[in-house]
Amino acid sequence: MVTRLKDVDAVTVGFGWTGAILARELTKAGLNVVGLERGPDRVPGEDFILPSVRDEVKYGQRLELMMDNSIDTITFRNFPDEQALPIRRIGAFLPGEGTGGSGIHWGALLWRNLPSDFRIRSALTERYGKNAVPDDMTIADWPVSYDELEPFYDHFDKICGASGQAGNLRGKKIDGGNVFEGSRSEHYPNAPIKSSNAGLMYAAAAKSLGYHPFPAPVAIASEAFTNPEGVTLGACEYCGYCNRIACETNSKASANSTILPVLRLDPKFELRSRCFVTKLNYDKTAKRVVSVTYTDMRNGEEYEQPAGIVILSSFVFSNVQHLLLAGISEPYDHDSGKGVVGKNYAYQYEAGANAFFEDKELNPYWGSAGMGVVIDDFNGENFDHGGLGFFGGGYIAGNTAGAPPIAGRTVPGGTPEWGSEWKRATVKWYHHAMRFNTQGSVYANRNNYMDLDPTYKDVFGRPLIRLSYNPPDNEYKMSQFLLSKLEGVIKAMNPTSYDMHPRPKTFTVVPYQSTHNTGGTMMGTDPKGSVVNRYLQAWDAHNLFIQGASVFPQQHGYNPTGTLGALAYWSAQAITTKYLKNPGPLVQG
Amino acid sequence: MGLWLTANSHAAAAANADHGKVVFQNCAACHSDKPGAIGPSLRGVVGRKSGSVEGFHYSGAMAHANLTWDEANLRDYIANPQAKVRGNRMPYGGLTNPGDLDDLIAYLKDYK
Repeated sequence: MVTRLKDVDAVTVGFGWTGAILARELTKAGLNVVGLERGPDRVPGEDFILPSVRDEVKYGQRLELMMDNSIDTITFRNFPDEQALPIRRIGAFLPGEGTGGSGIHWGALLWRNLPSDFRIRSALTERYGKNAVPDDMTIADWPVSYDELEPFYDHFDKICGASGQAGNLRGKKIDGGNVFEGSRSEHYPNAPIKSSNAGLMYAAAAKSLGYHPFPAPVAIASEAFTNPEGVTLGACEYCGYCNRIACETNSKASANSTILPVLRLDPKFELRSRCFVTKLNYDKTAKRVVSVTYTDMRNGEEYEQPAGIVILSSFVFSNVQHLLLAGISEPYDHDSGKGVVGKNYAYQYEAGANAFFEDKELNPYWGSAGMGVVIDDFNGENFDHGGLGFFGGGYIAGNTAGAPPIAGRTVPGGTPEWGSEWKRATVKWYHHAMRFNTQGSVYANRNNYMDLDPTYKDVFGRPLIRLSYNPPDNEYKMSQFLLSKLEGVIKAMNPTSYDMHPRPKTFTVVPYQSTHNTGGTMMGTDPKGSVVNRYLQAWDAHNLFIQGASVFPQQHGYNPTGTLGALAYWSAQAITTKYLKNPGPLVQG
Repeated sequence: MGLWLTANSHAAAAANADHGKVVFQNCAACHSDKPGAIGPSLRGVVGRKSGSVEGFHYSGAMAHANLTWDEANLRDYIANPQAKVRGNRMPYGGLTNPGDLDDLIAYLKDYK
C-alpha cells in the first residue's frame, strides 16, 4: 500500500552538495522543496563534535559516514565478458550516506577544470590532427564553456570559504599560484592554508626542476570567514583527522556547515531523512517525471511524492540506476555503442609514492584534508603530448594532510605488515615520512560503462548497477608518465629512500583510491549522444534535472567537486530564471 | 618616544567592542544561533551560569564546571580553555593577544 502525498513544487532525490544547493536556490525562488535522503540526518552540533568525531576506528576503518552495503551496493567486473560480482564492502571508492553525502568525509580539494578540458575533443583534434583521437576513446566536448561556468565556480568558492592562491586573475598570471588555470574573476576568498615543512621541501624541489608549485586549493577556511549565505566558517585548526571524518570546527566545507544552517530555517523547505527513493515515476508521453516513490527506512512504509520538478542528486551509481529502472533515455549498449545511459563511466586514475627523510623532522600529525603542494605542469593540455602515445594528464601533489594513528603509519617498502619489526619501523619513520599522489584524468572509453545487473538485486528487489571498468592503456601510460615526473621531484628532494606505487594494469575494488566516479548521464548538445542538456535538464523528461559528476562526459585530472558545485549553481539559475517562466525543454534537441 | 607613546596609548585605550565583533568571527562558526550549531549561543553569556544553555549537550567537564561567566572567568577561559575547564570539548587553543581579549569581552557584554 503506497500512500500518495500532497504535491510539492520540487523534490530532491539525495541530499549531498548538489541536493542542498538546488534546494536552497529553489526555495529562494519561492518554491516549496522536499529533500529526500536515504541516510540519516547529520547535524554538526550533534555529529561533528569532539571527542567522538576523532574516532578513526569508527569513521576511518568502519566507514560510519558511507553507504550501507547491507541495503545497496554495485556489482563489478573489469571486462564485459566477465561475470560481475557484488561489492560486499566498499573499498576503492566511498560514496557517502546521510545529509551532506560524500561532501562530509571528502578531502575538500576544490579544483576547476582547465578551459581546454571543456572542449577536449576539439582541442586534441586541433593540436594533434583530425584522426588523433582513437576510435574507442569516446570523449566529448562539454556543452558549456569555462567562461560560462566561471561565475558559478567563483560563487561555490565563496560558499565553501575556499583557501588558495590565484595563478590567473582576470588574465594576469601570478607567480606562486597555478599559472595554468583558467582566468579567475576574483581571488580565493581566503589565503592558502599553511604549508608544512614537507610541503615546502616539495615546492623547492619542484621549482628547481623548472615546475610551478603552488598550495593545493581547498574548501577549507584558513581564517574565519562569513559566506554569501551569512554562515560563518571557522579557521582550520590543522587537527589532521579530516579525511573520512567530519570537521569539528566548521572549517572544511560541507552542505551541513555552509548551506543547511540557513536552509533549515526556511519554512518552504522540508528535509526527510532515512527516506530511500526507489523509483522515478515517468510519464513517457508527457516527457515528465510525475512523482518519486520512496520507502521510509524506519518503518518500511512506502510513499509516493508527486512534484513539479525532480532534482536527481544522488551518487553517480544511483543516478544511473534510477534512469535505467524508469526507462528514461536509451540505455547504453556496449556491443553496438548506441544509447547513452551508463555510457562514458570514468574513475580517477591515482597513483602515488612515499619518501623517507631520516634527518628531517616533518611533524606529520598536523595538517588538514587536501593540504599539500601541487604542480599542474603535466595536466590536460598544459603540455605537448606529441610522441608520448597517450592523452590526458594530472596534477602531482606532495601531501601533508595529517597522519592519524591508524592510517598515518607510512613505512618503507619491504617492511613487514605487522609484528615487532613493523612496530619498530613505524616508530622510526613516523616523523620522517611523506606521501605523494598523482591525480590522473580518465578519458572515456567505449568499454567502460554501467548497466543493470542481470543477477544481483538490492534489498528492495531492484537490480544493482553493474560496473564494467578497467583503465584503458591510454590511462596506464598517462599514469606511468606522471609517476616518472613525480620520481624526478622526489629525487631532487634527496630522500633517504623512496617507493613508487604504480597501479596494476587491472583495476581492483580495494584498496581505497578515490571516490571520483563520473559519467553515465553525460551532458551534451544532442539527445542522441547525451542524457542531459547544458542546463543538466534531461532530454527525455523536461522537469528532471540531473546533478553531480554523473553528467561529466569524461574525467579530467582534477577532483570533481568544484565542477559539480559550479554546475549545480549554473543549473539552478537556469531553472529559476528560465524554466519556471516557461516549463519545457530549455534546449531543443 | 614613538614606542613609548604606542605602548601607553594601547594600554590606556578603552576596549573596542567594534573590533571585538571582528574577533568574534573566530567564535561565530560554532557559536551561532542557527540550527545545528556546534557550540552554545553566546548571546547574554556575560553573567550567565556555565553549562546552562537549554538543549545544548555540554561535555561532562563543562556541565560540572559550576562557574559564573563574569569577566574574569571568561577572560581566563578564552585565553586558555583547557587550563580553566580541563576536559571541555571546545576545539580552540586560546586567544592570547590581550588587546583582542579585552575587545572581545567588551563585545560580548553587549551581545544579547
